[in-house]
Amino acid sequence: MRASFIAITLVFLSTCVGIGQQAPVQAEGKIRYLLTHNWTKKYAGLDYISQQRKERNAYMWGGSRSEWKEYADLYITPMASKYEESDEKAEDDDYGYSWRKETFVLRKNFETGMFKDHIEFLGKKYVIEDSIQVQDWKILNDLKEVAGHVCMNAVWEDTLKQQTVEVWFALDIPHSGGPEQLCGLPGLILEANINNGALLIEAQKIDWMTFTNEMDEPKKMKGKRINEAAYNELLKKHIEEKKKNEEPWFWGIRYF
Amino acid sequence: MKRAIALMAFLCLSLPFLSAQNPSRVTIKGTAVDSFENIMSYATVMLLNPVDTTLVNFTRSDEKGSFSFKNVKNRDYLLKISYIGYVPFQLNLEPAAAGENELGNLYMKPISNELMEVVIKTAKAPLRIHGDTIEYDATTFKVPPGSTVEDLLRRLPGIELDAEGNIKAQGKDVNKVYVDGKTFFGSDPKAATKNLGAETISKVQVYNEKSEQAQLTGIDDGKKEKAMNLELKDEFKKGSFGKITGAVGTEDRLAGRGNYNRFNEKEQLSFIAYGNNINETGVNWEDYGEFKGQNTFNNEDNGDFGFSQGGRYYTMGNDGDIPIAWFDGRGFTKNFGGGTNYNFDSKKTKFNINYFYNQSELTVDQFTDRQTFLTDTTFFNTDTTGKVDFRGNHSLSTRIEQKLDSNNLLIIKASGRIGNTNGTDQQYQIFSDENGKPVSFLNVDNTSGGDYWRVATASIYRHKFKKKGRSFAISGGYNQSVNDNLENLLSNNSGLAGIITQDNNSENDTRQLKSSLLFTEPITKRWFWETFYNFNQTDNYVNRQVADPENAGQRIDSLSIFYKNKTLYNRIGSVVRYSHEGLNFSLGLAGQQIQLDGEYARDRNEPLIGDPINRKFNNLVPNIDFEYEFANNMDIGASYEYNVQEPSLQQLQPIPNVNNPAFRYVGNPDLTPETSHSIGLNMGYWNPGNFSSMHIWTEYNIYDSRIVQSQSTEFTGDLVRVTSQPQNVSGGTRFSSGIWSSYPIIKTKFTVNLSGNINFNNSPVFVDAIETVTNSQGYSIRSGFSITPNKKLILGLNGNFRFDRTSYDINEDLTQNIQNHTASASIKWMFIDKTFLESNFDYSLYKNDRFTFDRNVSIFNASIRRLLGKSNRLELRLSAFDILNQRVNISQYATLNYVTRSVAPTLARYYMVSLSYNVRGYENKVKSRGWW
Repeated sequence: MRASFIAITLVFLSTCVGIGQQAPVQAEGKIRYLLTHNWTKKYAGLDYISQQRKERNAYMWGGSRSEWKEYADLYITPMASKYEESDEKAEDDDYGYSWRKETFVLRKNFETGMFKDHIEFLGKKYVIEDSIQVQDWKILNDLKEVAGHVCMNAVWEDTLKQQTVEVWFALDIPHSGGPEQLCGLPGLILEANINNGALLIEAQKIDWMTFTNEMDEPKKMKGKRINEAAYNELLKKHIEEKKKNEEPWFWGIRYF
Repeated sequence: MKRAIALMAFLCLSLPFLSAQNPSRVTIKGTAVDSFENIMSYATVMLLNPVDTTLVNFTRSDEKGSFSFKNVKNRDYLLKISYIGYVPFQLNLEPAAAGENELGNLYMKPISNELMEVVIKTAKAPLRIHGDTIEYDATTFKVPPGSTVEDLLRRLPGIELDAEGNIKAQGKDVNKVYVDGKTFFGSDPKAATKNLGAETISKVQVYNEKSEQAQLTGIDDGKKEKAMNLELKDEFKKGSFGKITGAVGTEDRLAGRGNYNRFNEKEQLSFIAYGNNINETGVNWEDYGEFKGQNTFNNEDNGDFGFSQGGRYYTMGNDGDIPIAWFDGRGFTKNFGGGTNYNFDSKKTKFNINYFYNQSELTVDQFTDRQTFLTDTTFFNTDTTGKVDFRGNHSLSTRIEQKLDSNNLLIIKASGRIGNTNGTDQQYQIFSDENGKPVSFLNVDNTSGGDYWRVATASIYRHKFKKKGRSFAISGGYNQSVNDNLENLLSNNSGLAGIITQDNNSENDTRQLKSSLLFTEPITKRWFWETFYNFNQTDNYVNRQVADPENAGQRIDSLSIFYKNKTLYNRIGSVVRYSHEGLNFSLGLAGQQIQLDGEYARDRNEPLIGDPINRKFNNLVPNIDFEYEFANNMDIGASYEYNVQEPSLQQLQPIPNVNNPAFRYVGNPDLTPETSHSIGLNMGYWNPGNFSSMHIWTEYNIYDSRIVQSQSTEFTGDLVRVTSQPQNVSGGTRFSSGIWSSYPIIKTKFTVNLSGNINFNNSPVFVDAIETVTNSQGYSIRSGFSITPNKKLILGLNGNFRFDRTSYDINEDLTQNIQNHTASASIKWMFIDKTFLESNFDYSLYKNDRFTFDRNVSIFNASIRRLLGKSNRLELRLSAFDILNQRVNISQYATLNYVTRSVAPTLARYYMVSLSYNVRGYENKVKSRGWW
């Protein structure tokens, strides 16, 4: 996922205030994303599982019950972003039982070009700090509206997790951020479709506001400090082992 | 990617040499304007790699529409400008000769207002612009059900249809309509649009195509024609799978089974059939899953609301409608069955219906030794049984789950079953005194036959209120089951009344009506309050008329009875629950009333015998549940509940059931419910990093009142008669605890499993009207190794050791020690491509000091299978079962005041050859695990 990308310089000639095209954009905002996971499509994307097993899995688990929804929030300022799981639940059935919230906060500072992720991986906490590596986006030519903004699409192939990521970025929100680790486009990423619907991330609403302490970093972050290369090594090893066992590698870790 | 980098690097490095006059860096400038030369401020301007459109750099135009990329590498670029409401602008740039590449005004074309407003804004459909192709997402334009493609096209902006159905796109005639890129029934474009249903189409693409003339001649005459392509939805693409197996063996063994499934995105249809005499009594779980498809698992199906509502869980939906193979290891069976299942699944509606017929005939011979301990003596009986049992039944069941809207859900289930049974039961029993001297003999020869039907219905309605977390649910159900059974009993007892003959005609009708309500109110984001109510009325009508065929079919009054029994259950309860980030805690209390009413008579419409029974039991039932998830994939849980279980109908009926005169069963109308405190603790741990896991659980039950079978034995001279009757006793405990763990010593290659459990049970019992206590302790430990040195070989080693000790307060000397141990080894090996060896060896040891019983059984199975054909569709298998010819079923246990051990022959050594065909082909690999 964070494999070797061409790092491109993030150039911002203008700040986010008063940008043209359409409505003026406020300096700070919160974007609510709806994440729809589709288990059978995730399973279908594994090349080391036989076609028969995939089909059986889809035959029993496919259809409308293979989906699972949750919310995530992205906070943006002109030169920074913070992305985390939302406290609000998207699944109604979920009411009455609360799962433990995984540690998962991704921070990016486009001014310094650094990111700081506080995450859990295989039951252990990590703080990953390194320079931002931008995905090598291929820009496509389609237009559609997401959450009231006209977006253009771009794709990226993740060679490590073997995922095809199609995103839609807003033409009128000049911000390089996006959900999860996605970034580096001329507009804010409002939708991402990973592996043909295995995971769909869609912006639902954008609230422009003035932040109080939303972007503050906690004084202490528990977890082992590592850089991105070390994290990628851990991830790669895990995927290799799961492949050998012919089990989905995304059991126990985040799909994306 | 690396190649692209290398290429770019090469290009960058070589550029100065190839075209020496070109500078290595360049500044690219331009101005974005529309066709009326209006400036386009703040347009997005991107520099892409023209080879693969990879983003290299981007900027925005300023308020005057001007932009510049300063000091970028001088190479080929694709310049792309995007602006809302305009078709994205693209321009190929070549390396510039000077340090500044001034592009001047770059003109952007507006997207037609209609397309922009309607497609992008209103329909929220991606407007895909690939060169000159515009693509519509058909699913976002709503048309009434049954509409044709024509109706759909009329709704698409930019497309017009005249009265005859001729199509125009952006004002130009569309002369060609393709379906999935292919011409649809000749060249008339209207053939497709008038005949295809709108719901089959996922995308409509409109593009310019070279004229027919140009396509024929290969010479582009510059004329373009509008063409349209209709892309079909995936769900209208179909699939199927299935397999069939036939097998013949020595000892007249035969087996066959097959299944076939057809499906598309929304529907599944499956068929299954089997027949064999190799003790496969039904379908296995794998076949069950394939048969029921998306209806295998259902959630929200439990309408008996109560203390625990939380969590998202699926229940494997086997409501008994499909026979799952289950064989207890005794005897020989002949089995046939088959059925069909249909599922429909859409976002709003889930529908399932299935039918199944199955029959099974079981023939068992069994040899049992039993020792019964009395207060002052002991006796033995040896029992030789020969039994044939036939069961056949048809079942039909259906389930509908309908989302009325996003806040209302309705589930309706119904199933029916009809069947018949018949059987014979022959027993020869010898009773001996403590010295082993035979004192009494008993011959039993019973035949029986009957039929039954059953219906079960349930409906659940769930409503969510506008306030998040507030919800209401109501459920209702009606069940009825009717059995009619005729038994002809013949017994000859040397000690009792000699030859006894009886004809038992029994009729059993049970009707159940139930309903539950649940209301959930969020107090805060983390606190919830739930209230539930349960109602259940069960009516039983039992008529057992016993006649004496030797006496002109005269009724035997002492054994005949008709009774009506009503159980009324009402429970109202409340739960307060806290749930936040992995901590879930609930505290509940319910008040419940169980009312039992019974009337007894000799026959229907005859006067009552004795007073009617009217019993009422009121209880307060508390319930506590606690669960917590730790950060390192560990969770703990604790629970407490108070259980009240009312006596069953059979336990309450007061007239003796004497199918075997030596063993009588008499019910007890005075029984009160069984009540107990139950405490549970559990801990789970999973390490996704090293794949190890562990689960520990403990359960402790303390009985206030327990229903036990009391035994009274008449054993005088040559008379042996055991009468058992359920009775309430106070006290008694049951404790069990276990651990299950798995740890990889070498990840993916060598895994160790270790599990064990202990259980202690002490139960007061009445033996010959004297209260005494039976204590039992069981210990078992199991360890296994799974070794996978490579993809072609899987080895397994397992050991299972079990010790049971039962002691009796009436006589310490009678303590029983029973041991059952098993060691097994297995191999799965692909020794040649497409050829597999599968074998297992199990060694079991059974020991009981009391009977000086010490027996071991070795089972050795092996099979070789070979996949045939290009796509491995055929499988030929040679199997040898129980090569050492030792298979036998042994069971031994000690309880109450007796200890028993029985041996039953079953299917032993046989050889089989089978041929299977799989539509999709078999996997050419060692099967490492079940498929889910």
